[in-house]
Amino acid sequence: MKANNRFTIYRIGIAIGIALLIGYIIVFISSIPSGDIAFWDKMKEAFDSANEAYRYFLTGTVVKWRSSGAAFNQSGFIQWMNESVPIIITGLAISMVFSAKQFNIGAEGQMFLGAAVATAVGIYFPGIPFISTVVVIVVAMLAGAGFAVIPGFLKAKLKASELVTSLMLNYVAFFMGLFIIKTFLRDTEAGSLVSLPFQEGSMLPLLNERYKWHIGIFIAIGITIFVWFLMKKTTWGYKVRMIGDNQDFAEYSGINSSKMIFQVQVASGAVAGSAGIIELLGYHGRFLWLYSPGYGWDGIIIATLARNNPIFVPVAAFFLSYIRVGAKIMGRYTDIAPEIVSILQAVIILLVTAEAFLSKWKQRSINKEATKSNKDLSLERVGEAK
Amino acid sequence: MNDALRGIFSWDFIAAGIRVTTPILLAALGALVAESAGTPNIALEGIMLMSAFTGVVVSGFTQSLFLAIIAGIAVGIAMASALAYFALKLKTDIILAAIALNIFASGGTIFFLSMLTGDKGSSASVNSLIIPNIDIPIIENIPVLGDIVSGHHAITYVAIILIFVVQYFLYKTPLGLRIRAVGENPHAADSVGISVIKTKFIALLISGFLASLGGLFLSMGYVSWFARDMTAGRGWIALAAQALGGLNAFGVAAGAFLFGFTEAASYSLQFFNIPYELTQSLPFAITIIVLGFYAWRKLKTTKK
Repeated sequence: MKANNRFTIYRIGIAIGIALLIGYIIVFISSIPSGDIAFWDKMKEAFDSANEAYRYFLTGTVVKWRSSGAAFNQSGFIQWMNESVPIIITGLAISMVFSAKQFNIGAEGQMFLGAAVATAVGIYFPGIPFISTVVVIVVAMLAGAGFAVIPGFLKAKLKASELVTSLMLNYVAFFMGLFIIKTFLRDTEAGSLVSLPFQEGSMLPLLNERYKWHIGIFIAIGITIFVWFLMKKTTWGYKVRMIGDNQDFAEYSGINSSKMIFQVQVASGAVAGSAGIIELLGYHGRFLWLYSPGYGWDGIIIATLARNNPIFVPVAAFFLSYIRVGAKIMGRYTDIAPEIVSILQAVIILLVTAEAFLSKWKQRSINKEATKSNKDLSLERVGEAK
Repeated sequence: MNDALRGIFSWDFIAAGIRVTTPILLAALGALVAESAGTPNIALEGIMLMSAFTGVVVSGFTQSLFLAIIAGIAVGIAMASALAYFALKLKTDIILAAIALNIFASGGTIFFLSMLTGDKGSSASVNSLIIPNIDIPIIENIPVLGDIVSGHHAITYVAIILIFVVQYFLYKTPLGLRIRAVGENPHAADSVGISVIKTKFIALLISGFLASLGGLFLSMGYVSWFARDMTAGRGWIALAAQALGGLNAFGVAAGAFLFGFTEAASYSLQFFNIPYELTQSLPFAITIIVLGFYAWRKLKTTKK
């Protein structure tokens, strides 16, 4: 492995380690009991409860702790799988645009609007198993792609900053999506603002009835393989990445960069568009979001952790949803609020993306490798000369 | 219907619009100072949230308004300096660093709220203070003018004054000039001896200060408690207002008022069967169109 890649892995590992440590210290401090007992007793008590909290946090997703011993936590595992699905997909969508060094953060809106538009199809399209599921997802993708045309066009044709326009469009998408649900698709018999239920046949097949494990995870893995192939094995993907590496160079070698930027934004919008509806089709059975669920933002975290490489996106998403489910389980058994996970996420992103963090060490290891290969080279030359 | 008409066309509506605009305006001025230095600050949302939270907690525990305001501002500036440190010294992408800080603020405030009060939704159980309203003598007694101009929250007046202060600061003071120079062309600024990193750092701190006032207004004036995610996107709206107004404090203020008044109007317009979702998304749509227009105009001039 090259020193550079090895270094990236070390750095992500160290960032996660530091984040977990900070989390532990916070849990420890919040576990210190009040009351009139000796200092060391307080410390000991805090230490014990912090350890217990962290045991749930780090293992609770897959392990059920009983007094009789540990057992497999089926519901935690299924929750982990299901929660990974939408964020794998938004992670892929974001990694596509990030590969071209575009800062389109519109995945949130594309996901939300895609889900809202496709909900109409899910309700009214006859429920033919498989076919109607595919139709619903395709409609969501078209809606996401259609909405991505706007920032794509503004950037490619007018060079308007996609950062601000895609941000604004998130709001437009959110309000439009809510408007569609509220005005046309609302279930008036339900107590809260939710859509009518989907046709039975449009729903995703379940692998486990009790905890509603749906096949979305396999769809997400399928999309991962597709995006990986598209980005890494086709000329199109190569051009996109070339623009990301050096746009001027790409232009000189005859790539029409505004056209490519437009295309990658729209393709990414299509992927993002499917993220929300898959969860609705698999788990909830209707549209029920009153707030934007934030999967687009999670996609940014995931694409960053995965260094925009599609193959690492599921790994990063599994990691993120693992600690999230773990935090929820910790919150159930202890007094520690699961939102502590946001603090860890923030630390991880900051350290993973800080280029100068540990950069001296990086330089040293690259130098070492370079000197070594130089030596090998000169040895070879000596051999040739002989 | 008549009530609704009265709702929109009354002088109270203008007062309400000013109230809704205040936090957006302060954050938008923060966005302006940061953008002038060429460092977009998209952590405004998180900064406001942290300051709103700190103000409530400190005032609840110390019962001192002064300490609460100082602490709220200090936390806002600390958030901004974390952003500046990561972006400028550790070379983190500034957008990603800001997103991380927003995540930190959103979850962190809920976490600390639940640890301190046992309640995750709001700080209702904390006996926190509010920053008072100010009645302007004499003017408050003039019929219409009094309703509009007098009786606002102290921070609202500060915000209005700050429009002029920020404009003067950016265009008439040496530091403001340096900030704009760095934003315009960092290499040129560097070549005449301006420390680019230091200047950007200062701009981000000022931006954090302005946003923290907006946060304090939310939890200690607009309402008298802290609620989870109570900024509700105002930090993003502020960015839109800045984008709309360009690099001019008066333009940015106009943008902020547009957003504030649309929000205030959207509640009343519901009575006319105009869905509030449509009125709410209108300013964003306008911003996108205006940005597209700016970009088109710029493109045309550079092509010539």
